[in-house]
Amino acid sequence: MINFILNGLEVQIQEGSTILEACKFYGIEIPTFCYYEGLSPYGGCRLCLVEIDKGENSKLVSSCTYPVEEGLIVRTNTKRVVNARKMMIELLVSICPQSKTIQDLASKFHVTSVRFPARHEDCVLCGRCVRMCKEQMQGGAIGFTNRGNKKKIETPFNIKSEECRLCGGCIYVCPACQLRCQGPDAMTDLCSGCLSLEPTCIEAHEDYQCWMATTGDCGTCEGRPDQKKSDKR
Amino acid sequence: MKQYRTHLLVCAGTGCVAAGSFEIKTTLEKEITKRKLQNEVAIISTGCNGFCERGPIVVVQPDGIFYQRLKREDIPLLVEEHLIKGRPVKKLMYVPPTEAAPIPRMMDIGFFKHQRLIVLRNRGRIDPENIDEYIAFDGYRALEKALTDMTPEDIIKEVKDAGLRGRGGAGFPTGLKWELCHKTAGNSKYVVCNADEGDPGAFMDRSILEADPHAVLEGMIIGARAIEAAKGFIYVRTEYPLALRRIKIAIEQAEEYGLLGKNVLHTGFDFSIEVKRGAGAFVSGEETSLLAAIEGKIGIPKQRPPYPVKQGLWRKPTNINNVETWANVPHIILRGADWYSAIGTEGSKGTKIFSLVGKISNTGLVEVPMGITMKDIIYEIGGGIPNNKKIKAVQTGGPSGGCIPENLLDLTIDYESLKQAGSMMGSGGMIVMDEDTCMVDVAKYFMNFLRDESCGKCLSCREGTQRIWEILDKITKGRGRPEDIPLLEELAVATKDASMCGLGQTAANPVLSTLRYFRDEYQAHIKYKRCPAVVCKHIISSPCQHTCPIDTEAPQYIAYIAHGQFDKAYDIILKDNPLLNICARVCHHPCETKCRAGQGGKPISIRALKRAAIEHSSTRKRTSKRRKPSGAKVAIIGSGPSGLMAAHDLACRGYASTVFEALPVAGGMLAVGIPAYRLPKKALKEDIDRVVRAGAEVMTNQKLGRDFTLDQLFKQGYKAVYIAIGAHKSIKLGIPNEDTAGVVPAMEFLTKQSLSEKTNIGARIGVIGGGNSAVDAARAANRLPQVDDVTIIYRRTRNEMPAYAEEIEAALEEGINIQFLTAPTEIVMKDGRVAGVKCTRMELGAVDQSGRRRPIPIKGSESVFELDTLISAISEQPDISFLKKDHNFEITGWNTFVVNEETLATNIPGVFAGGDAIRGPSSVIDAMADGKKAAKAIDQYLSDKEIKFEYRVTRPSIYVEPVKLTVKETLESTRQVTWKLDPRKRAKNFNEVDLGLKKSAAIKEAKRCLRCDLEVRDEDEKEQK
Repeated sequence: MINFILNGLEVQIQEGSTILEACKFYGIEIPTFCYYEGLSPYGGCRLCLVEIDKGENSKLVSSCTYPVEEGLIVRTNTKRVVNARKMMIELLVSICPQSKTIQDLASKFHVTSVRFPARHEDCVLCGRCVRMCKEQMQGGAIGFTNRGNKKKIETPFNIKSEECRLCGGCIYVCPACQLRCQGPDAMTDLCSGCLSLEPTCIEAHEDYQCWMATTGDCGTCEGRPDQKKSDKR
Repeated sequence: MKQYRTHLLVCAGTGCVAAGSFEIKTTLEKEITKRKLQNEVAIISTGCNGFCERGPIVVVQPDGIFYQRLKREDIPLLVEEHLIKGRPVKKLMYVPPTEAAPIPRMMDIGFFKHQRLIVLRNRGRIDPENIDEYIAFDGYRALEKALTDMTPEDIIKEVKDAGLRGRGGAGFPTGLKWELCHKTAGNSKYVVCNADEGDPGAFMDRSILEADPHAVLEGMIIGARAIEAAKGFIYVRTEYPLALRRIKIAIEQAEEYGLLGKNVLHTGFDFSIEVKRGAGAFVSGEETSLLAAIEGKIGIPKQRPPYPVKQGLWRKPTNINNVETWANVPHIILRGADWYSAIGTEGSKGTKIFSLVGKISNTGLVEVPMGITMKDIIYEIGGGIPNNKKIKAVQTGGPSGGCIPENLLDLTIDYESLKQAGSMMGSGGMIVMDEDTCMVDVAKYFMNFLRDESCGKCLSCREGTQRIWEILDKITKGRGRPEDIPLLEELAVATKDASMCGLGQTAANPVLSTLRYFRDEYQAHIKYKRCPAVVCKHIISSPCQHTCPIDTEAPQYIAYIAHGQFDKAYDIILKDNPLLNICARVCHHPCETKCRAGQGGKPISIRALKRAAIEHSSTRKRTSKRRKPSGAKVAIIGSGPSGLMAAHDLACRGYASTVFEALPVAGGMLAVGIPAYRLPKKALKEDIDRVVRAGAEVMTNQKLGRDFTLDQLFKQGYKAVYIAIGAHKSIKLGIPNEDTAGVVPAMEFLTKQSLSEKTNIGARIGVIGGGNSAVDAARAANRLPQVDDVTIIYRRTRNEMPAYAEEIEAALEEGINIQFLTAPTEIVMKDGRVAGVKCTRMELGAVDQSGRRRPIPIKGSESVFELDTLISAISEQPDISFLKKDHNFEITGWNTFVVNEETLATNIPGVFAGGDAIRGPSSVIDAMADGKKAAKAIDQYLSDKEIKFEYRVTRPSIYVEPVKLTVKETLESTRQVTWKLDPRKRAKNFNEVDLGLKKSAAIKEAKRCLRCDLEVRDEDEKEQK
């Protein structure tokens, strides 16, 4: 067992655990995006940032990849963490405002404006699909190509891959192309509809009709005592 | 070994090879054989000397003579003169930019003299492809010592005590890293040499590998012994073919000599080295990424911990150091930690190699002890900034480093102080930037590099660099908004904080450091839509139009002249400038200094073309009726360029503008400061008449304070006042006996002379000062009948003289003597009159804050110049004697008015000021620009609006078809110069010296214009689509 300090508390965790695992164990919520249970941690989205050490040496690290060390000081919600995380979400929204996963994160972490022109891309390069294909499907049909602003996820040489069995695992885990909200179009790049506004669906229709159809409910109606889930459809 | 009388060391570093040093070598060999000297003279190709800008370089030993920029044709002469007759060839030697005489010996050249060579000690001395030469200079002795006399612990202790820190940039203590790796348990360990040098403008690792590859090998073998590794890798980028070849040769030779491989030096230690070629990814210089690349994976950084010393290559303990770090090791082992740690500062020991590039006279590679100041590197070794430009900043540490501004150049160089200044040591790139460098553009350049070179894994780095670049791009295109600066800062901090590896964590540095030191340049781009360095083409359109303070559309009128349409050209000029005759003669043409044709050629003679457009236009004499103003009354004090411009513009806006002039003639400094041989009275009158026709009134002999007061003006119904009184009062010299008869202030002399009053000057004249009024006074005095001899006395050299170069040239042509490096100390009197001036000689010392070398008196060098009259012309300031004691104006220590820079309003409502009255002695065109601005501001003030200007990017108002040139015309185009009056015909008269361009010459000159404005026009159109 390793002793370390988590948000001021002296705690213990099994050797070899990551900070994220330790936080989960102690019930501290840390937002994740490229992290996916069952896949190896990647550390690309930088949403699971936590601050380690103190004073001049303190720095932000991705909790999903950073191993807990003896005596490590971890703080999960410092100003620095919050600011960096909000900026990451803002950047994510600007790449792919159509993703419900990203919009939900924006609402949840109070990202109130997006100051970059939206690009409406289909991919945010979180790499979930690459790892899914390789690690769970034993495929390895897709991977990263190029680097920097030209980085892409493709099949080798961008032709149909022999390795691909069309299993659809990649699409299943994709946070960008799945879960597209079918609610009313937001006026700005930032929807912030579901979690911060009254459910528009109730306003629009006398009889409750869920906009989300088969993709699962948006959750806004959860908190309303007069609407029980069972009454929905 | 065979003995030779002379060795010719031909530099074979990449720089010299590119300049043709291999060709020089073969030519030398042929020539030596031809002259049958092959048994006396040896020719050896060596590694890089560092002075790459001067290549190809040949050093003749043992004499130590340094030959540079050799051409094949020079070789026979060199062999004949130097090697046969024993006379070194002066014309092939190095001449420092500021001096005239060549320096024969290498060690006397500033570039080499101030360096301290440890790592590069063998550069230019040995043949890097010959192990024997390395051994002859104590090579592999350190290895022998380490393997036979020292335990691994001893080696680590020695390196730790020496205080060596990683030269790759981060500065981690090398000994500590070795110790960590040594202590990690494991049966197979690795050592790695990081030679993936990717910073733009940095080439020290390449140079070490090319000049002294065995030093790196020796360091690695010692390191491997210390951590007990059996295998080493050198990761070199493929872009370094020569370095790759030499390191491979070195490995082969070392293996042959039993220095690598099984049982090294019969000590039972096995170690081999393999070279890996990198495919040129900047991120592969990051250690975890480099290790991934060696393993054959994509070069993407990994999370640390685990650090490579615990889990590196193939998850085995790995010690990775930079080329320069490895090359330091043999010296530490051989000469001891005490010797090494005596060099440098408290926290940074030893020497550091920098590649000194950019706007610097001596470009090249320098090795200096830690703790040297930046200024020493730039001025003593680098030889300063070429072309008399002003230094702006030094960029250190490559793309992830930062810019250090000119006022921090006294900074000592070590890891900590650079970090504090917002930059970093990095691998040692040092890019010098002068006034022509736009810092926003520099930041954009580096961000463009980084957004491409980021591995793309972390969102913060991939998107952060991309978005920062996008914002910077927007700003450089003149579309920036004020909120972009805080956004940039926020994003930059997030990028730094949230990224995983060194690349991402430093990626925002170019932006943060330029924002820290050059925020005003960002503001200029965003708010005023100006690029102070005239670089960002979407803002400037054409440099000539952008630099013109009154926005004259030079490319348009030049294009019309090229078409032969002088009338249209004239109209374009007149549109922005009613004082065009004046400008066509005396403007200091900032447009020409920034002209694109002047980069690598001669700039367009824009001012001469303006004059040609006026003189060859047929509409010039077209008179219009005098306009009758109807609006409010505005008073303008002073009829100089600023006052006339304001009066004209106000009249055009319908105001009744009245100009009050203290002197009996209108024109201010134009009439009495600039002598008639530069600006004839007729030309001046034509322009003043134009202002009057526009509706302004000019009243002479009306001096503020003597004939009227400001209060009276307001009582008479004037609603606003523009003070443009100029700077007519000469500043005192501040030396003894200054008030003696015969000492005349330059302005007093010039004014009296212009008004044809008696000037009371003698036959021998001395002028003190180096500015334009000094040269004007000297040239005007020289034209007076009683004057025999005129001497200008200036304390610095011609390079530092503030007067316009063409004026200095003309003064010399007219036989005026200029005493440089001479300063007056006392005025010598005889019979109550000036008899001479005592002067002391000066020499140039260290560089001061203005970037110029400070003149220092030479003791005992006093001498007396005998004179009849001394004209003092060191500077001028406004004459504000009209102000009563209880005035409320805010005034600076230089007697200039304090105004709101944007609106030119003084602190008293309704009173505006501009021109030399707020700037001190300055140029005509700046004064005119103030007049234009004041007219706009007064207009808004009188319409009860808030005074606010809208700023737009520079664009021409119309499109003029470019001319088509034949190939012949293109090839034969040369700068056309105006006809000048023969110096002999100028004597004792005030006839105009400059005679302008003939029609055909003007058209020819106009055709040389590169039409920079069209470049942006095409892109603007594309964007509109």
